[in-house]
Amino acid sequence: MTEHSPAEMEIEPPRRSFWRNLSVVWLVPVIAVVVSLGIAWQSYADRGVLVQLEFQNATGIAPGETVVKFREVTVGTVETVGFTADLARVIIGARIDKAVAASLPPDALFWVVRPQLSARGVSGLSTVLSGVYIDAAFTPVAGSSAKSFKGLEEAPLVRPGRQGTRITLRAKNGNQISPGAPVLYRGVEVGQLEAPRLAPSGDGVIVNAFIASPHDARLTTATRFWDLSGFAVSIGASGLKLDVGNLAALVSGGIAFDTIFVGGQPIGEDTVFDLFPEESAARESVFNSVGANAVRLSVEFTESVNGLSSGAAVMYRGLRVGEVVAIGAEASATPAGRSVVLRATIAVDPGAIGLSANMPADETLNFIDGLVADGLRAQLATTSIFSAKLVIELNPVTDAPPARLIRRPGDDPLMPSVESDLPNFTATAEGVLERVNALPIEEVMAQAISLMASIEDIAREEGTRRAPDALVKLLDETRGLIGKDDTQALPGEIRQAVAELRGVVADLRAAGTVDRLASAIASADKVAGDLAAASGDFPQLVTGLRDLAAKVNALPAEDLVASATQVLDSARALIGTDEARALPPALTGALNEVQAAVAEYRASGATARLTEALVSANQAAADVSAASADFPALVDQLSAVATKVDALPAEDLVVAATKVLESADALIGTEEARALPPALTAALGEVQAALKELREGGAVANTNAALASARNAADAVAKATEALPDITARIERLVSQAGTLVDAYGARSDFNAQTLAVLREVSAAARSVAQLARTIERNPNSLLIGR
Amino acid sequence: MENALHPRPVLTARAAGLVGCRNCGRVHARGTPHCARCGSRLSSREDGSLQMVWAWLIAGLIAYIPANIYPMLLTKSLGHHAESTIVGGVFDLVDHGSYGIAAIVFTASIIIPVGKFFAIAYLAWIVGRPGRTRGHRHTRLYEVVEFIGRWSMIDVFVVAILSALVQLDFAATINPGIAAVSFALSVAFTMLSALSFDPRLIWDAEEAPQT
Repeated sequence: MTEHSPAEMEIEPPRRSFWRNLSVVWLVPVIAVVVSLGIAWQSYADRGVLVQLEFQNATGIAPGETVVKFREVTVGTVETVGFTADLARVIIGARIDKAVAASLPPDALFWVVRPQLSARGVSGLSTVLSGVYIDAAFTPVAGSSAKSFKGLEEAPLVRPGRQGTRITLRAKNGNQISPGAPVLYRGVEVGQLEAPRLAPSGDGVIVNAFIASPHDARLTTATRFWDLSGFAVSIGASGLKLDVGNLAALVSGGIAFDTIFVGGQPIGEDTVFDLFPEESAARESVFNSVGANAVRLSVEFTESVNGLSSGAAVMYRGLRVGEVVAIGAEASATPAGRSVVLRATIAVDPGAIGLSANMPADETLNFIDGLVADGLRAQLATTSIFSAKLVIELNPVTDAPPARLIRRPGDDPLMPSVESDLPNFTATAEGVLERVNALPIEEVMAQAISLMASIEDIAREEGTRRAPDALVKLLDETRGLIGKDDTQALPGEIRQAVAELRGVVADLRAAGTVDRLASAIASADKVAGDLAAASGDFPQLVTGLRDLAAKVNALPAEDLVASATQVLDSARALIGTDEARALPPALTGALNEVQAAVAEYRASGATARLTEALVSANQAAADVSAASADFPALVDQLSAVATKVDALPAEDLVVAATKVLESADALIGTEEARALPPALTAALGEVQAALKELREGGAVANTNAALASARNAADAVAKATEALPDITARIERLVSQAGTLVDAYGARSDFNAQTLAVLREVSAAARSVAQLARTIERNPNSLLIGR
Repeated sequence: MENALHPRPVLTARAAGLVGCRNCGRVHARGTPHCARCGSRLSSREDGSLQMVWAWLIAGLIAYIPANIYPMLLTKSLGHHAESTIVGGVFDLVDHGSYGIAAIVFTASIIIPVGKFFAIAYLAWIVGRPGRTRGHRHTRLYEVVEFIGRWSMIDVFVVAILSALVQLDFAATINPGIAAVSFALSVAFTMLSALSFDPRLIWDAEEAPQT
């Protein structure tokens, strides 16, 4: 139904303009874009400056994570890690805050902080968890725009901006020096060491040290540094000394310093100091302030300089005045040929010997020259009795030959030296010690003790106590014997005999015998004189004998005494017998016979013969006198023999002697022995009868002939005595041989054993004698008849 | 072929002189200004719909750029500082072998938003170009886009939850980055874009030959 109606009017609303048609929603993307762009631009604008850091390696550094810190505030982040063109090093690109980057000076320091464990503690511990970071240190400089930096491998000792003084230390070696080791001033850490490095010359180690600000004012030219590392143990005359540094210094090394004396000059940057191995050396170094104005001298030594070292002190009467600079050997041409002398170069500080410290070298040398002219000499000396170290002493020597300082162009002046007495002293001390060491103190003590014990034993012995009683009894018996008429008649007989003899003497005098006798006596006197001279050696002999006596003293004499007592008893018993008492009359008779014989004798002019005999005797005596000149030597030998004998253990001998005595005692004690006196009496009677027969049978003439023979014999003896010196020499040889022999026969030798055997045989022989005596008793005539 | 599939033209509501309420669905005669049931304004086609779609879409795209450039999460664990972007996070997950989660994150944060951009842009571009539309299929596409759009917020939710939970000071701390905000905005913008699209426009091309 609407088909034919006019088509509905298409009403087109007026086309709205493009802008009118635009939806408000379009604002949203616009705003989004604006905001995004704003954010983007902001982040771009805020983005830091990319700087290049060059490192050896990039251990622990991660792009985007590792941060860069300045004063522990994060100022940037590592963005890239790459290499240099030659791949030799690592280049780290780090984005640094704009504000910070704007003031980065070209000398800014960057280093990687890693956890580090050392004796001084733990550092960088936080990086264990958070990872390493790059630390920066610099003094901000506004407007700087450096973009490339060289990173340090380790944290710098001195951070830029830290106040203080940097110095250089010279050391012999860097054993105990580790980087970062503390520098202590009176135990307080005031600075640190850097890593030691070899000196360019290679003969030492150089290490830089930084002393922080308030403390660096203490550094002057008078400051000395020394190594604190480890222990220092020294033994000297002052005793044991132990120095221990603090623990950190002990482990990682450390040095200390002190200003030794007042008046040092302030120092500048990078002053070079010597690092001494120990404090004492550092302090002593002040005294050898050599170098400034010390004069150098040469000293030549002919003896060994073992123990003398470079740096050893030069002492003037015990005061250190310098040091040994060098020691060396030098071949020198002398008139006798080339020889090597040991030469020490010493430096002597004029200030130390009382001169002005700034005195010119020439004047100092003149002064020393004056001292040398007065006797000053160089000499080696020990520092102490325990040390082998030597020093050179300058000592005034009073009796020194005159000398002067020898100045040679192009060389140090030569100072005269004298031989030291070091070796003598050492030898003497050693000798004394050895002797003391060799003393047999223990043996002497043991012998003394045993001697005292022996004496005590003797005193306690019963035999000893009985000996006096036996003696008294013996004396009584003797008195009884003497008191008898026959005995008292003896003097009368003797007087007659004397009268006869006086007559003989008178005859002799008449025959001029007295003069001969006088000369004989003179000879005897001379012999005595020689003997006296010889006796000059007696003290030694006496000493030896005394020693022997001491030994004998030590012998067990109890038995001996007991035996002696027994012998005395036996003798007394023997004397107490009737036969013994009958002896005197027999003797009287015999004397009468003798008297008669003498009378006959005198009648036959025997005196003349006697005179001749005396002459011979005199000559013999003279010869003996000549021979006795050799006696002193003999005495010496005897003395030596005595000493040797002294050394022999005689105890066994004494024991054997004791046994002999005992045997003798037993012999005397036998009936046979007691029977001997009557037999003797009878024998004497026979003798008397025989004499009578002889006298009647022209025996006197025979006697004359016998005397002539005797004179011949005396002559022969005289001749023989002429050979006495030879004999003496032989005896001497014999004695010396005996000495060596005795020497060879020590204790417990075969000789001793044989001696003992001999003594035993003697003992047996005594027993045989006893048998013989019995035989004689039975048949006395056999004595005369010879059967 | 196309003609073979669509042998007869579609009768649209507008062609039938009707207009439906987008709110409650009641059909009114064309020209009725207001819905008799719910009172909302009635219009056969939303004026400026496409403009709004494009505007929101562009805003969403703009927001999506920083969402991918800037870090999504700021993680601090034991002093270790880490920033992860969306793609970086996916790669990290793949590196750690969590392929499933990586796939989820990749789908939710990359595929869906990007797919939405393309889908919406395609729909907005195809509308009004006769002969090219497939009304039913496009409507289905639109419904999917509108439905799935909200799930793109899963990333933002994760970040929000993590940020709220993991605040353990030194041990571990997670903070949202700029990308989280951007991403949320981007998702919001695309959702608005999808909402702004009037699906009835899809059918305009179908009826065009009749007009």
